[in-house]
Amino acid sequence: MTAQMDRAASVDIASLIQHDRIHGSLYTDPAIFDLEMTALFENAWVFVGHDSEIPEKGDYLTRRIGRQPVIVARGKDEKVRVLLNRCTHRANMLCRADSGNAALFRCPYHGWTYANDGRLQGVPFREGYDQEMAEMRSELGMAQAHQVEIYGGFIFANLYGNAGSFDEYIGRAKGPIDRLLSLSPEGRIELRGGWMKHKTVANWKIVNESQVDGYHPLFTHESVYKAIMPAKVDYASDELLVATRDLGGGHNEVDYSREYQSQDAEFIWFKRTPREKMAKYVAAMEASVGADETHKRFVDGPPHTFIWPNLFLAEMHVIMVEPVAANESIQYTAPIHIAGGEEINARILRNAEGAMGPAGFLIADDGEMGERNQAGLTAKMPEWALLSRGFSSEVQEDKGLTSYDRTSETTQRAMWVHYKELMTGKQASA
Amino acid sequence: MNTHVPDDIAAFLFLEARYADESRYDDWESLWADDAIYWLPTKDDADPSVDVSYIYDNRSRIHSRLAQLKTGRRYSQSPPSKMRRMLSNLEVLSEQGDDINIGANFVLYEHRNGTHVWAGRYLYTVRRTSAGLQLVKKTALLVNNEDAIRTVAFII
Repeated sequence: MTAQMDRAASVDIASLIQHDRIHGSLYTDPAIFDLEMTALFENAWVFVGHDSEIPEKGDYLTRRIGRQPVIVARGKDEKVRVLLNRCTHRANMLCRADSGNAALFRCPYHGWTYANDGRLQGVPFREGYDQEMAEMRSELGMAQAHQVEIYGGFIFANLYGNAGSFDEYIGRAKGPIDRLLSLSPEGRIELRGGWMKHKTVANWKIVNESQVDGYHPLFTHESVYKAIMPAKVDYASDELLVATRDLGGGHNEVDYSREYQSQDAEFIWFKRTPREKMAKYVAAMEASVGADETHKRFVDGPPHTFIWPNLFLAEMHVIMVEPVAANESIQYTAPIHIAGGEEINARILRNAEGAMGPAGFLIADDGEMGERNQAGLTAKMPEWALLSRGFSSEVQEDKGLTSYDRTSETTQRAMWVHYKELMTGKQASA
Repeated sequence: MNTHVPDDIAAFLFLEARYADESRYDDWESLWADDAIYWLPTKDDADPSVDVSYIYDNRSRIHSRLAQLKTGRRYSQSPPSKMRRMLSNLEVLSEQGDDINIGANFVLYEHRNGTHVWAGRYLYTVRRTSAGLQLVKKTALLVNNEDAIRTVAFII
């Protein structure tokens, strides 16, 4: 055990999270970061990739679960597995590429080879091992995540298989995934354009908190609204019907659908692009689900939903957050490709570059706020960060604990309630 | 072929680099042609019709980008980075009518919340017009473009 972990063991996490405030050390303490990687990533369900990134047999991509490197691979049996990126002989990393296609993973050190389903296939000079080797061989395949589940193409893994069922984990977050897929006439999305990767000097939870923050746009993004285009909704209005919602299980969202419905206008969420500019897409939707349902879906728009602990359905983009250290994260952003969405996909791609990523009109400034947040936390007084906005405005709905005050910190509190449960092993009292 | 870069074009590219270094947004904008492309891809062999880029600005988006910077509330560049970049190994790669394609290596020191080094290759298309030289396309191929990069809200 490291000295850091000794120290962490003595930290009383529960006392650092109150219903309306969070202790600053939760964003800065490397010992707490170590505990998080174990409790929230390696012993938990996490998002690892999308099945459209590995469409063919033998396709693979490399990711991390917490700090452990994994290979997400589609075997020759079509099955998706999450394999630990380590040779079972002397622990060399097997694969250094971001992605590729391979029938075999071959360790360059001593030439051990594994099939793309992780089975040990070849051991050079096998006779150098005793009889034991023959007996051990079946156990020397690459280690793999105990559970892998795919929902709507999104691949989730539970490394050690001790985090309960997938259905319990995903809970109400299936709804927002369905909402996203409902924008495709084929009911599918793909990630075809690769990822922007944005390195930021901020704790991963700061990045997550800002993604679902309904309070900041008027301030952080003032320069966009002033110089480029007005915000999609009037954030300054008291009449705004934008909800913040705790979906349970750490999942949460900013839901614009009621506001869009009140305006009964399509594509408010997509720069109010007129139908005529995407005629083939509209026709395909209407052929698939009918005119009325198409109109409803074009009004309601995509989810703005965070799926615990590292996946953000950022409307027409997918974001994945990778913790690197207590004060460093990588935010990955991929534009969504709507299956059957001929004209809209080219627009989504260009919108991704306009708004998102390290040069984006929005996200570059969110990144700046994250880094300033991390820098501010080096001041140790006051000890707490406040998360009390909108507490009394919350109402319990079927969809989850909801506030129709879009500036409510309901979304951030949703993450911390779940965080506390996972980090302390205790369910919060209802 | 002759890869020598004519002096006036080299001078034009050095001017462009200095305007970028000094965040002289209006001066920098005045260099661009109407069919401009300002491109920072996520890999060297990217196809911008399929692959997401960090930046893929046409003329109108270049204008938007600079308009945002000029508000003073583009917080990721407020204050602007202090920068100096070196261009070297300038070569003419090809010519098509009035458009000349040029390659150069660059190292850029950016100071903002620490000093950061950006390095890679610039690919330019410069056009000869009756009104002088215009920048048609600028592509920056970062040596680390496939890795996670820091915020790049300045002019790269």
